[in-house]
Amino acid sequence: MYKRFTAICFSIGLLLSYSLAYAGVVTHHFKTLDLTAEAEYQTGNPDKPAVLIMHGFLTTNQFHTIKATVQAFHDAGYTTLAPTLTLNINKRRQSVKCNAIHTHTLEQDQLEISEWIDWLEKKGHKQIILVGHSSGSQELLALLASRKDPFIKLAIFTSLFYLNGEELGTNPAELDYSKKALEAKNNQPHKYSFLFCHNNYYATPESFLSYQKLDRQYILEQLRNLEVPNYTIMGSEDKRYKSVGNNWLDELKQTGTNLVIIEGANHFFSSEYEFDLQDQLVQITNNHFNQP
Amino acid sequence: MSNHSKFIRPIQFYFAFFISIGLILLAALIWSFYSEGNRLQQTVNEQTREEAKKELTIAVNNVLLSTQNQLQKLAKWDEVHQQYHDPSYYFFWHDDRLKESHFYQPYYDQLELYTKQGKLLMPPSKKPKTGLPHRNLPNTVTTTEPKVILKSNQEAHMNVFAPIFDRSSHDVLGYVGVSLDIYPAILTHNQFYYLDKTSLRFPGDGVLSPQELIDHIEFKPISNPINSYLWELIERFIAELIVTLILLALTLPLLFKEFIHTPLTLLSEYLQRLRATPYKKQKPPKRTFWIKEFEELKNAIYQYHHNLQKTQLELDEQNLIVWEQARRDALTNIYNRRAFDETWNEVMVNFQNEPIPTAFMLFDCDFFKALNDTYGHEVGDKVIQAAAKVIQQTLPMENPAYRIGGDEFAVILQHRTQEEIEQIAQQCLDALSQYPYQTLGIREKLPFSVGISSIASSHDDNLGALPRQADIAMYKAKQSHHSKIQVYNQTLESVSSALVSNQILNKVVNSIHTGKHMQMHFQPILATDKSNCYYEALVRVQNGEELVYPDKIFAVVERRRLEVELDRQVIQKTLELLDQNKIPKGTGVSINISGKTLLQPDLIELFKPFREWLPDYKIVIEVTENFLIDHMDYAQTVLNQLRYQGFLIALDDFGSGYSSIRYLAHMPVDIIKFDMSMLKALKSDNKTRKIILATAEMIRQAGFDLVMEGIEDNEMFEEAKDAGATHVQGYLFGKPKPEFSKSCV
Repeated sequence: MYKRFTAICFSIGLLLSYSLAYAGVVTHHFKTLDLTAEAEYQTGNPDKPAVLIMHGFLTTNQFHTIKATVQAFHDAGYTTLAPTLTLNINKRRQSVKCNAIHTHTLEQDQLEISEWIDWLEKKGHKQIILVGHSSGSQELLALLASRKDPFIKLAIFTSLFYLNGEELGTNPAELDYSKKALEAKNNQPHKYSFLFCHNNYYATPESFLSYQKLDRQYILEQLRNLEVPNYTIMGSEDKRYKSVGNNWLDELKQTGTNLVIIEGANHFFSSEYEFDLQDQLVQITNNHFNQP
Repeated sequence: MSNHSKFIRPIQFYFAFFISIGLILLAALIWSFYSEGNRLQQTVNEQTREEAKKELTIAVNNVLLSTQNQLQKLAKWDEVHQQYHDPSYYFFWHDDRLKESHFYQPYYDQLELYTKQGKLLMPPSKKPKTGLPHRNLPNTVTTTEPKVILKSNQEAHMNVFAPIFDRSSHDVLGYVGVSLDIYPAILTHNQFYYLDKTSLRFPGDGVLSPQELIDHIEFKPISNPINSYLWELIERFIAELIVTLILLALTLPLLFKEFIHTPLTLLSEYLQRLRATPYKKQKPPKRTFWIKEFEELKNAIYQYHHNLQKTQLELDEQNLIVWEQARRDALTNIYNRRAFDETWNEVMVNFQNEPIPTAFMLFDCDFFKALNDTYGHEVGDKVIQAAAKVIQQTLPMENPAYRIGGDEFAVILQHRTQEEIEQIAQQCLDALSQYPYQTLGIREKLPFSVGISSIASSHDDNLGALPRQADIAMYKAKQSHHSKIQVYNQTLESVSSALVSNQILNKVVNSIHTGKHMQMHFQPILATDKSNCYYEALVRVQNGEELVYPDKIFAVVERRRLEVELDRQVIQKTLELLDQNKIPKGTGVSINISGKTLLQPDLIELFKPFREWLPDYKIVIEVTENFLIDHMDYAQTVLNQLRYQGFLIALDDFGSGYSSIRYLAHMPVDIIKFDMSMLKALKSDNKTRKIILATAEMIRQAGFDLVMEGIEDNEMFEEAKDAGATHVQGYLFGKPKPEFSKSCV
């Protein structure tokens, strides 16, 4: 009798849970920015933490590494939220080209991420895992430096590097130019070299300069000071080591982050390394939350 | 034949005709080929144009559709929405970023964003960084229907609009408008297989819908390379064919002339030359003919003509020999009577055209018959041979001697004076008298007589009378013992007719020439067994109440040499009687013919009218023994011809002359008529009688009919029958009378 009741209750609960389950695009309007952003939101096991997954520089939540990450957590029963930063474009759905006019700033990005965390929390998620890829990891790291949120239980950074550094192509002259232009209140877009955008990153000085904060030292420092349990997953064949040096992994490790290196994987964990990434993410999360 | 003769044309005509026909047919064929090809090409071009038009329609629609698609994508572009959210950097985006993006096509002239009210989101840039300012887009969008704007500079621009929807409310946020250059846009979005994209023209100016534009665009279909190449090939082929035909038409006549016409002309000329002068050696054309058959023909003609000439030469030589033989006297080897007649005729003809002094000289041995009787014919022949040789050798080279009778020699002299003529006659006479006749066994002196007649160069002279005149002169010379050369003069005419009165002479001569007063009397000749009977025709001349009998008639005839004329009149009179059926059928008629008449070339023709009477009548030609002996070869030829035709030949007066048994065997006669003296001789000594009887017996045994003349009584008739006569003739059976004796009937 008890077993029968339990089974009935389980079935009703299952039906309820499925009736409350959601998978789709959700929007969120940022009042201060007067912009609306979209995010892929898939509910999972309510008992499991929600995972916010942040895409890399100028991309969207449709980027394959992000989709693979979302898929891994979703398959593992986690609720996932993969927003696309507006980069000052209402309901942005496409990656932004280097030569598009970039007016977005790191601060706006952090604002949007912060509001999406709030959005999750408003959705009732009390355990939140932040997962970022590439510059998304840096922006999460930068956000965590300022946001002390008890619901954030875990942070996983994949392909964590930094944005400012002459070894990365940052041109000091351009920094000077942009600073002077900003000082002169000349915020007309100008073409810079920034990451993979060589001489064609068409951005306002304000936008350009905002991201220069994320230099090597800043990242390592924030990581070292990060209070949230964190993991850092790196591909061993990431070409950026050629720029940042092979000691980058060592420096990362020295920050105290739980460094996981996937042998053979590149910056985007392409190809079969997506599975390795997914396995690592789920394994880390399950382990962290003692999930079976 | 006359119908076909009009088709006989020179070879050039037929060559030109067939060449023309060939060229006309070829030209028609080429024209047909060209027209058909042209029509085909036009059809292909029309189809190509249709296809090109379809391509153009598709192309314009493609541009429109493609642009609309592009604008729809652009309307969803984040950066467009970025501008609507914050157009602070619109100009940077519009002038730089937009044109670097893949949304901005190279053929876009202008792209503008409009508010949902249709106003420009931001004013258009004042001046583009590159290129000419193309501002075909309106400042306010009143309709989103696409428009085509034609410019006077032949540019065509299409304005296309698409709404931009708000991503949240899905309301119209604004519009995106683009103005594009149609020509590069068409080229960008389409592949053309039939349309020549370089031919596109956009004439005029104004505003059209895209569909109207399709009908407005000027275009050309692309030239089909295969079709064009094929047509080019055809045109080239036709051009080459025409050139070839022209060259052929120009060359063929030359080739025809060189290969056919010239050889034919040369061969024709060669044949004409050969025909004009068949006996002259004509070399063949020197030119070498390219056509083997012509070359062979040329050589064959030459060889043929050469052989023909050779054969002709041989024939001429043979003819010459025959001619010579026919005109040479077999006994003396000088020219004979035939040669004389031909020469004399030629002289007569030439004299008509060009009268020249001409003389006729006649030689005759005075006692030749007596010589023959005394020494025999063999000696007589040798005398004739010797006389001929002497006369010929004595005469000038250009004057041959002719043997015209047994012992008569004639000479024709021209361009000689009378003195020269007489001198020549004297030289001949001297040479004849000096001949050693004793070498021939002749002991006596053998005199010759010469009669000469001559005329000067006048048309009025009677050249034809010369032979008779010479004959008269010779007769006079024979009568003289001292003047053996006599030249004819008019007085000799009276001398010759002294034996008869002038009145009778004139009557006889006139009768011979006109036939008037000439009567034919007929004496019957009866078969001794009375099985048949025929009549001997005897001539009489009526002189008033009297008749002139043959003794006087022949005296005149012989003196005037009118034997031929007399014989012709006798023949004519006999034929008239036959025509009048006065001669009883089943009988016959025997006609006496002189030796001179027998020597006439037309002897056979003379007797031709008698042939029709031969079935009903026995026609006998009586000739004298002397003539036969003197002209044995010739006599055999002509008399045998007459015998072959059905005439009978009778040898008259057998026994009055030589009566050589040796000759008898070869004589071309059927009947032997014994002279009256033979019958009378039967009454003489026994030896003579036996000889005569033996001769008669031999004649009959040889197959001849034997006619005995002069039967006047029954005793003679009995003797004649006893002697073996097959026929008898004499007063006993009938005297010669104008009417036909009943005894014969």
